[in-house]
Amino acid sequence: MPQQNPFQDPLRFERRVPECVVVIFGANGDLTKRKLMPALYRLAYDRRLSAGFAVIGISRSPMSDDQFREKMHEAVKQFSEDTEVQDDLWRTFAAGLFYVAGDIADAKLYQNLAAKVQEVEAQRQTGGNVLFYLSTQPSQYAPAALGLGSAGLGKGSGWRRLIVEKPFGHDLDSARKLSEELHQVFAESDVYRIDHYLGKETVQNILAFRFGNGIFEPLWNRRYVNHVQITAAESIGVEGRGAYYQEAGALADMIQNHLLQVMATIAMEPSAGFNANAVRDERSKLLRSIRPMTPDEIRQNTVSGQYGPNNIGGKELPGFRQEEGVNADSQTDTYAAATFFVDNWRWAKVPFYIRTGKRLPKRVTEIAIQFNPAPLAIFNGDGSDTSPDLLIVRIQPEEGISLKFLSKRPGAGMRLRPVSMDFNYGSSFGERSPSAYETLLLDAIIGDPTLYTRQDMVEASWQVVQPIQEAWRGTKFVFPNYAAGTWGPAAADEMLARHGHVWRKP
Amino acid sequence: MGAAGTIAPEKILRELAEMWTALNKDAGGETDSALRACTLTLITLAEENEDFGAIGEAIAALMPQHPARTILVRLQGPGERQLSNRVYSQCWRPFGQKRQVCCEQVEIVASDKALSELPAVILPLTVADLPVILWCRSPRAACLPAFPAIAAMASRVIIDGEAFCSQATAGAKSKEQTAQIAMQRIAAIATKDTAVGDLAWTRLTGWRAMLSQIFENRQNLAALPGVTKVTVTAGGEPRVGAWYFAAWVMDSLADIGVHPDFRMESKAAASNQDLQSIRLEGPRWSAELSREGERFVATVNGVSQSSSLGRATDYSMMEEELRITERDPTFERALVTAQRMTEERK
Repeated sequence: MPQQNPFQDPLRFERRVPECVVVIFGANGDLTKRKLMPALYRLAYDRRLSAGFAVIGISRSPMSDDQFREKMHEAVKQFSEDTEVQDDLWRTFAAGLFYVAGDIADAKLYQNLAAKVQEVEAQRQTGGNVLFYLSTQPSQYAPAALGLGSAGLGKGSGWRRLIVEKPFGHDLDSARKLSEELHQVFAESDVYRIDHYLGKETVQNILAFRFGNGIFEPLWNRRYVNHVQITAAESIGVEGRGAYYQEAGALADMIQNHLLQVMATIAMEPSAGFNANAVRDERSKLLRSIRPMTPDEIRQNTVSGQYGPNNIGGKELPGFRQEEGVNADSQTDTYAAATFFVDNWRWAKVPFYIRTGKRLPKRVTEIAIQFNPAPLAIFNGDGSDTSPDLLIVRIQPEEGISLKFLSKRPGAGMRLRPVSMDFNYGSSFGERSPSAYETLLLDAIIGDPTLYTRQDMVEASWQVVQPIQEAWRGTKFVFPNYAAGTWGPAAADEMLARHGHVWRKP
Repeated sequence: MGAAGTIAPEKILRELAEMWTALNKDAGGETDSALRACTLTLITLAEENEDFGAIGEAIAALMPQHPARTILVRLQGPGERQLSNRVYSQCWRPFGQKRQVCCEQVEIVASDKALSELPAVILPLTVADLPVILWCRSPRAACLPAFPAIAAMASRVIIDGEAFCSQATAGAKSKEQTAQIAMQRIAAIATKDTAVGDLAWTRLTGWRAMLSQIFENRQNLAALPGVTKVTVTAGGEPRVGAWYFAAWVMDSLADIGVHPDFRMESKAAASNQDLQSIRLEGPRWSAELSREGERFVATVNGVSQSSSLGRATDYSMMEEELRITERDPTFERALVTAQRMTEERK
């Protein structure tokens, strides 16, 4: 048998996708309808899936295969933002959709699933490859994995992989316990912990920018970088997810996973090669180098916030405590900011400021690297601007990279003013960027875990975040401490002011 | 507009610089008013009788994906010597963004008598350090003595083999020879420094990807060494594209040591001259990829899957070609094999 498909043409075709069945637990849930099914349909639309590709949806509601197909058709029509839903293509795609009803806690579900997997394999020639996707409540991750194991579904004639959504535990101990339970059935190399931030094109572009070019890396250290600001702001509130959000909070929901991963990507050492282990080793090493804070440092270097009501443009916005499903005296952080330091030679004493929050003035995610000023300011005193040099990596919206530096204003005299040199992802590569879920699903099917989080990375993140979480739990905050539509609590500005810095207004 | 019969490249460059100043002035001098975007120089040669509205639209549609300084040469054909130019910009505002993105466009009108002067005019206008792509829409121009010097400015020349085929019909003694002559002319354009791309090959990408996809299945891949017969069916007399496809399939099979019998068939009743189907057969296994209207149907041992064929437009094909700035070794190999196959068929 040939080892390689001789018809591949990497110059013209996209990456190769082996045949497989994707089993989705929680197939009736929001994530499946809004993200997973539209992403899979788009992959089919782009002819990225193999001819026999199949999906088996699982949830408690009794449904026939046809009813499931109809439901997914509606979801794809509603949530495919930039993909035309063609009737013919949908019919072909839908022929590969199947459904099994059952309760995750019920052993019978796994027997029914095993029978269905066998039937689909025979019908669609999927070669025994199965990707399990746990799009369920986190409390069901371990029971689902163990159920698969007891039904013999953890092994088969092809590969078996498991995708888990965040949160990966709610603290260090629970993260370790979850991993131990998953490992009873799936090897760590077959566990894909999804962090959709890492699937974003611009986050991947950070690696290209840093390690594909020779001119930036020499500046990427404590000698030239003054500090780094990472902002992930949302203008919306909890949008009906108040009950869930109340249990999580901004620190656990955003910083523990997404933003520490982004920080690791920005600050990691160059990897020896671009393969999953090499890249993840470096990310993990960086996360382990973040200095855990003492209680006193937590008071100085972290800020918790919660939004209160406000009137913006004539519209009354409720405070978090007025949101549906939220306790009237909730202590949940809808805003979190922290100053981290990385204890290694490259970054010693360089502050990494991270902030995230809901109901901030705009939706923006960006990384700003502020460089040290020129050692001697020879142009001061002539009305010149003294803005610092900045490198801004915009993750959303208007993805791109800008370099802000000083330039002489035309005319007599030597007056400087900041100018911006921009790379705009959209204008330089006008083609459509795949959604994070398209990228990550494809990676999991192909077996490339580079953009997935490994257990040691999860543990390293919790080691940084857990002391903050515990300190905050032991504190009675005076909430709300920022009004909806503003850039967060005053304490966050004071946190930077202590280091002589100010937050950017993205 | 340049004075009649003369073009000064430095004047065009000055006009381009003035255009940027004007664009920013129009926007009130704000720093984020207009963003210049450029990833390559695209030179387009087109005959005066072509639909320049449609060409302009295709180029405009390409700019967001492949921002370029474009130089559009309107070929006036034989007659009085003529050479003139105009400079303009093309701007668009990406959805949801406040800043305009603009590309520079230069239009040059040249008669055949002035063609030999084109390299000296165009060379200073190409953007330094970026690829230069020549899109030659005119098979006639490609046969003119001045063409090699124009092509030599480009790192890649893109032609349409199907148009070359039509051009070659006049000189051909047999139908096989039509495709063969066309392919000889295409091969002759390539040099050590200039690669060739053919839109007749680009039209096959969907077919090739779909065929390749079938063999991502390990069972199908395992059946490949047992393939004993390959049949390619073209609509009407096989043209360049059908031969490229056949050559690519046979080259790919040869790579894994498989040398099946090959048949090229014509489906006279087909509604168009494009490729119609390919069938790979072995004793206990077969796979067929066929066109049904606007769809592909892939059938492997009775299991069928259809997907959109997608309409090949100037825009869609050039969009694909402009992604490739280096040589395309798979195409170059298929071109050589296809020439040999047509020779053997004679």
